[in-house]
This record gives sequence, C-alpha cells and structure tokens, in this order.
Amino acid sequence: MRSAFSEALVRLAKADSRILLLTGDHGYALFDTFRKECSGQYINAGIAEQNMVGMAAGLARVGFRPFVYGLSAFVPVRVLEQIKLDIAHDDLPVVLMGDGAGFVYSHLGTSHQSTEDIACTRVIPNMMVLSPADRFEQTLCMDWAYQANTPTYLRMGKSDLGDVHPAIPVAKPGDLICIKRGVPHGVVFLATGSMVTTALKLGLKDYPEATIYSVPTIKPINESQVIDVLNDSACIVTLEEHNKLGGLGSLVSEIAGEHQPKPILRVGVDDRFSEMCGTYQYLLKEHGLDVLAVKAKIDVFLKCLVLRSQG
Amino acid sequence: MSKLKFDCRQLRKTVLDMAYAGDTVHVGCAFSIIEMMAVLHREFLRFPDNSPNAESRDYLVLSKGHGVMAHYACMHARGWLTDSDVQRYFADGTEMKGLSDSRISGLEVTSGSLGHGFSVGVGMATGAKLKGTDQRTVVIVGDGEINEGPIWEGALFAAHHDLKNFTVIVDANGFQAMGSTEDVLKLGSIKTKFESFGFDAVDVDGHDEHALEAAFSEAWNSYSPKPKAIIAKTVKGKGVSFMEHNNIWHYTRLNAETYASAVAEVTGCAK
Repeated sequence: MRSAFSEALVRLAKADSRILLLTGDHGYALFDTFRKECSGQYINAGIAEQNMVGMAAGLARVGFRPFVYGLSAFVPVRVLEQIKLDIAHDDLPVVLMGDGAGFVYSHLGTSHQSTEDIACTRVIPNMMVLSPADRFEQTLCMDWAYQANTPTYLRMGKSDLGDVHPAIPVAKPGDLICIKRGVPHGVVFLATGSMVTTALKLGLKDYPEATIYSVPTIKPINESQVIDVLNDSACIVTLEEHNKLGGLGSLVSEIAGEHQPKPILRVGVDDRFSEMCGTYQYLLKEHGLDVLAVKAKIDVFLKCLVLRSQG
Repeated sequence: MSKLKFDCRQLRKTVLDMAYAGDTVHVGCAFSIIEMMAVLHREFLRFPDNSPNAESRDYLVLSKGHGVMAHYACMHARGWLTDSDVQRYFADGTEMKGLSDSRISGLEVTSGSLGHGFSVGVGMATGAKLKGTDQRTVVIVGDGEINEGPIWEGALFAAHHDLKNFTVIVDANGFQAMGSTEDVLKLGSIKTKFESFGFDAVDVDGHDEHALEAAFSEAWNSYSPKPKAIIAKTVKGKGVSFMEHNNIWHYTRLNAETYASAVAEVTGCAK
C-alpha cells in the first residue's frame, strides 16, 4: 500500500510539474524515489506543521498543487484551523495525506494514534475525505484526490493487511464498492480503511449471507447509493478504526435517520484513548476491534434483532 | 508606479466613515498601519492595470486581519471599493467583513485568527521563487500577533530558503487585546529576534512616510538573499488624540460626537 502511494505520487508529479510534495520531516525512506526523480518538487518544511499547511495554501493560491504529508495525528488534527481557514475556506486544491491513522503506532501511545481525524475533517466545508482499504484503493484515491481539485484529506491507515480487491476497482469518488454479494435484504457490512479486511474475513468465514461494501469515500459520499443499500438491507454494520463518534458509522446513521431508518451497529473505537502499549493486533484487542471481538459484537446485534422481531 | 495619492488624512477619514457606518470596532488597529499601507500602495506594490487579481501582482497579505479597515480605505482609494461599500459597511447581506476575508478581491488571505497570513505569505513567496517571477510578498503582522508560534516556524523556513522576495512588516504599536505587549508577553527586541532567525531587519518610525519609503526601498533593492523584516514603531489609534495609545479603541464604537471630533482631527479641521 505504501509503495502504491509512493508510485502514484511520483507518477502524478512527473505528469504535472505544479505538484509539490511537502513533508513535515516525516516519511524517511518512503520518498526516496520521489526525491530522486522529482527533486525540484520536494520540500521538507521541517517539524513545523502549522507553517507547512499555511504555506501549502499560499502555494495553491499562486498556482501549485501541494500534496502535504504527515502523520495523521498531526496532519490533519494538529493543523485543523489552517485547513479550515487557509485551505478549505477558499476551496484550494491541497491534498493532505495523513499516514499511520488509527492504531498503527501502537507502541507510541496517544500522541501518535489518530482516531478523530475523519470526524475533524468531514465537518469542514469543501473537504473531500478519502480512506482507502488496500493498495488498489490507495492508487484510486490518489487519482481522485488529484482530479478533484479541491481540499482533500487522504487517510492512510494500517498498510500491510493485504488486498481486498483483485485489481483497481472501477468506481467514482463517493461510490460504495461491493466486495462480496450476500443475500438480498440481509445484513450489510459497510467498512472503511483497515477494517475492510476484517469485514471481508468475517463475511467469508462466518456471515455468508452478508453483503460487504468498502467505503473509500467518506465525503462526499454517494448518498443515493447509501439509501439504496439501506433499502436493500435488514440491518447494517459499519466498521472503522476510528472513534465511533463522527466517522463512517455516524455518517451512515445520519443518512439512515433522514431517509431509511434501519438498525445499525457501529463498530469502531469507543470514546476513549488507548490504555496499554503493545503490537497493533494487541491494541485492536484492547479496543475490541480484533476479528473475534467484532464477531461477538455482530452476533449480539443480530441476535437482539431476531429476538426483537419475535416480539 | 501608481499615480494615486493615498492621502493618509483621507484614508483615516474613510476608516472613520466605515467604523461609524458599521458601528464597529478596531479603529485603533487600522490607524496604526495607515502610513505603511499608503506608502506601499503609492510607491511599491504593483497591480498591473490597477487590478486586484492581476496574475503578476505583488502580494500584500494582511495577517493582522483586525486592521482591515485601513486596507479597505486603500482599496477605496484605488477604486476597488465604492462609496456605497463604505457607507453600507456591515449592512445585512454585504460581503465586507470586520476581518480580512480572501473572498474579497484585494484581500489575499482570510485572517483574524492570528498567525496564519505569515505562513500563507511564505507559501506565496516560495511559489513566486519557484516560478522565477519578480513578484514580492509583503506580510503585515501585529506585534501582539507574533506571540503565535507559526510566525516563527515560517520565519525559520523563509530564512532557510533565502526568500529575499518576502518582507514582513511588524506593526509594533505596543498593544494587544488585553493590554500592552510588555505586560502580556514580553517581546524584547523584535528586530533582534528576526535577525537571529536569519532576516535582514530594520527599525523604522511607522508614521514617517519618508522613513518608511527609505526602509522599503532598501528592502526592495537589497542584494542580500535574506528575507526582510521591517519593524514599524507605531501608535495605536494614531491621528486622533483621544484614541492614541488608548487600547480601549480596540473595542470602542464611535458615536456622533466622537465621530465628528475624530473626523475633524484626521482631516486637519480641528477647532
């Protein structure tokens, strides 16, 4: 996934000399190829994210296409006001790429973990928010971000979980991408980022009746597709490595509440910080986001629905 | 350069007209930057065909958005704003806000939350350098504003990258919202600070138009690769005796009486 990111960046930058890569002193080996092949388009702005993002706005104002890279704990969360005022207010085409989202930095604690970035960015007008699940969606999202010509946050989470697609899917920004077709009017999993892999694992092994969609676009999502999915479902499970407040689960609930209310289980991070240190898998367990814990939540949810329907 | 006069008496009168029409505040913040704005517009900033959107224009970034009425007054003098814009300031449904808003042609950035315009300006100067144009970027910050961290992040960047096309003017009026800069958060020598960050820096009387012209000329014509900092010592509320050095005019609205007295003073018709 990271090499897909780097390759897409180099490809785009070679084709458009207005593209500049700005990094806040992050991405050590990740940008080796970029630095070699697009050296005049690379700016290390130092450990100074607020200035970097303000500068990106200035560069966009005078005709450049800045791609700004940082850890998602810093870009976008630390620089939210710069994104709002300097970039989004004027709909400037700046792409903000936040790496290591969720619990990727599991051993480093709260400062490097990021489970509020989707919520922070999706409430800013003009922002596009993307959250790819695998290397193919990563490539697709990089192209969407470039073509959209609008402020974009591209969330990059755990990158080595394997593919969910056989190739780059055919999709437009906003689309839900079906990765497993289940029974009509059954349970539907809507997952984004790293949790698409979890959804797929569960669907293939434990929930053959489930239909599963990957949701790489958080905003602007294709609302009519979501409504169609709601119409064609008995209930919904959303999955994300993000706070349950303000992310994909909230988004789907908002649409469902207005258009097609359905029972929705939001699988995500409870509204709390990590307690312990450990591997990525350990931390997922702490937050109840490992495969077994997610299965247990879904089973309880489905069982309650059955009981409810039986009166 | 522009044949327009940018008469400081008239600019101050325009600010008073706006503040009175809009029943608004921040008169003192605007009055401290009148002379630097006048000199910049009259002698230094290039707006081909007098257009605020000309692609090859110089960039004037008002990072201290609270002084926006001084900027509006210059835009009015250029014909970018009409008499009606001045008289209808703050009327419902009008576009001109009480802080700099980049959606208004002539204002490069949205500011008011402080410490933003400096970095955006550094980005614009970097862009001009990358494109190889001779455009200049001038950013006006308040001395209170330089409490903000991004200013100093941007200063490091501007010096590291030899942005000689970048000039910051510090409106050193000695006040910020809650009191004097000395009392709130001591700044020490602003000139020394910018010098230590790698700028060519100079102190100047911010109300002496000849001194400002000389300082800007030196900055514009310098062969040094360093970015420039011009520390303009100013008086908050300059031009109206009862506003000068009085921080209450950060917050106070004009009434018929104070408006009339202030207009009489700034136009030189004081009784």
